[in-house]
Amino acid sequence: TAGILIPDLCVLAHLERLEAQVNKSHKKSEELQSAQAEESALETKIHQLRHIRDKLRAEVKQRQARANASSANVEPDQTVEISEQDVLERKQENMKAILQAYHFTGLSGKVTSRGVCVCISTAFEGNLLDSYFVDLVIQKPLQIHHHSIPVFIPLEKIAAKYLQTDIQHFLFSLCEYLNAYSGRKYQADQLQSDFAALLTGPLQRNPLCNLLSFTYKVDLGDRSFPFCARLLYKDLTRTLPTDVTVTYQGMEALSTAWEKHRASHETLFCTVPLHRVFASFSREGEKLDLSLS
Amino acid sequence: MDEIVAEFIRRTILKIPMYEMMTILKAWNFLSENQLQTINFRQRKECLVQDLVLLCEEKCASLNDAALLDIIYTQVHRHQKVWDVFQMSKKPDEDIDLFDMEQFKCSFKKILQRALKNVTVSFRDAEENAVWIRIAWGTQCTKPNQYKPTYVLLYPQTPYAFTSSKLKSFMPLLGQALTVASKHHQIVKMDLRSRHLDSLKAIVFKQCNQTFEDHNSITPLQERCLELDVNVDSRIIHENTVEKERVQRVTQETFGDYPQPQLEFAQYKLVTKFKSDLNGGILAERKEPLRCLIKFSSPHLLEALKSLAPAGIADAPLSPLLTCIPNKGMNYFKIRDK
Repeated sequence: TAGILIPDLCVLAHLERLEAQVNKSHKKSEELQSAQAEESALETKIHQLRHIRDKLRAEVKQRQARANASSANVEPDQTVEISEQDVLERKQENMKAILQAYHFTGLSGKVTSRGVCVCISTAFEGNLLDSYFVDLVIQKPLQIHHHSIPVFIPLEKIAAKYLQTDIQHFLFSLCEYLNAYSGRKYQADQLQSDFAALLTGPLQRNPLCNLLSFTYKVDLGDRSFPFCARLLYKDLTRTLPTDVTVTYQGMEALSTAWEKHRASHETLFCTVPLHRVFASFSREGEKLDLSLS
Repeated sequence: MDEIVAEFIRRTILKIPMYEMMTILKAWNFLSENQLQTINFRQRKECLVQDLVLLCEEKCASLNDAALLDIIYTQVHRHQKVWDVFQMSKKPDEDIDLFDMEQFKCSFKKILQRALKNVTVSFRDAEENAVWIRIAWGTQCTKPNQYKPTYVLLYPQTPYAFTSSKLKSFMPLLGQALTVASKHHQIVKMDLRSRHLDSLKAIVFKQCNQTFEDHNSITPLQERCLELDVNVDSRIIHENTVEKERVQRVTQETFGDYPQPQLEFAQYKLVTKFKSDLNGGILAERKEPLRCLIKFSSPHLLEALKSLAPAGIADAPLSPLLTCIPNKGMNYFKIRDK
């Protein structure tokens, strides 16, 4: 990873760090492999359990049918019919499950009496976040009946541009804005909840989460280096900022080494999601302490 | 703590009903738990208030602390005031709105202080990134009147602000301060007014109907159909079932299945010429248009309108002048001849 924070004075220390990095990346790929193996094992288990469940269900139905048949003297053909019904029921359940699972594609919908109700499910880094709905009335002109899009997302603008001429573009554009908003909100929420200890003041944010301002410190032994960061997200379809300013808040002038750190922080905030930057800060905080002792 | 602040705090606390006293004081968070525990809350209200004011004095409450208490009281008793809605707009191709709350608060205060030397401006952040603003107005030579403040509930990065003000003369200045501080181009007062702030919000943010059809839920329509079939007794024949069902359908299409936002009135100012089916008559010959004001009042106007056709009092569909209220975000209309 980029962003070297420790000024190295010794070649050995540098080699040690390189070795540690290689070991870490080995560990990561091992972890990934084991996670994948676990996943496929669980999948197989799910299939097996489903198979057992279906068998048990069929058996229960058969026994019930036999009980009814013996009391009412019914023909044995009934048992064949019941298992057909069972197959159809299972198919219907399967279909319902697939329709429900469509949420995970990010864009799904249900036909209504007037048209269609579209559901946009947002996600960031594999985390499923909020869902938003747009209920459309199919008539000329196409109309939005009601929706749950937040007021600060420019829905009217996007609709004015694309709704009548290219509905696909309308939906994709809306998806873009909503996913980006969800992602920015997620990063800000994560920063507030998980890394409050590294902040020296409250996180300043706005509804769109497109302007974030916060103060944080980097501790080196008994010295504390306070910084102030201001992140502007001028492109509402992106989850990374377009403008970042990091300013040093201490009294004395910043040494060249620390000036490099400050600049590297600016680059970090521009290229890496906010909470990941702070995760790396908290890890490197430990490294910094170790290098001193 | 000067006398003005002491008296202001005393009068504000006196307004608070006893059953809300603890909640509001805790929300204010100016007097600590320990301090509140030293007070006897079972004594007569006047004595309780005196004790509380003494505590505030010991803690040197400032005018801003008192203003915050007033904001909290108003937040809890928002329905006691009538709220107007203002809509701000930007120029068509303006840059993205990078709203900075601290910058806004600073700018807003500066604009008012530059215009009127004496003014008290207080802020309280609210949920959903909104902010409550309280302004007590003074002039170049008189101190601010703390008993006739203006309250504003602003939703940043949206065009809307809700205001309640007894002093109307300061509204243009308020509008200018809001517009400039939030980097908008102009501000317009909407023809929408109500005591129910949450309903106004639902109307302008178009949040009235929040049920959506989804594969994960049964539609309410399906549930209702099941109910209707259960209560049928074959010996009873409803002669006008067809008409009843039509009325139900039309009402449901117009008003939806969700609870209506709460408004107290709708007002129609007519400047129209008299139209009559009968030939002649004095009114029909008038060249000047008639001016009249029609006002519909109700504790819950939209629910009342919704029940008119099903109750048989009016024909369905109702006049679009009545049913357009939530969609247009208006309950004040001026109707002229075309």
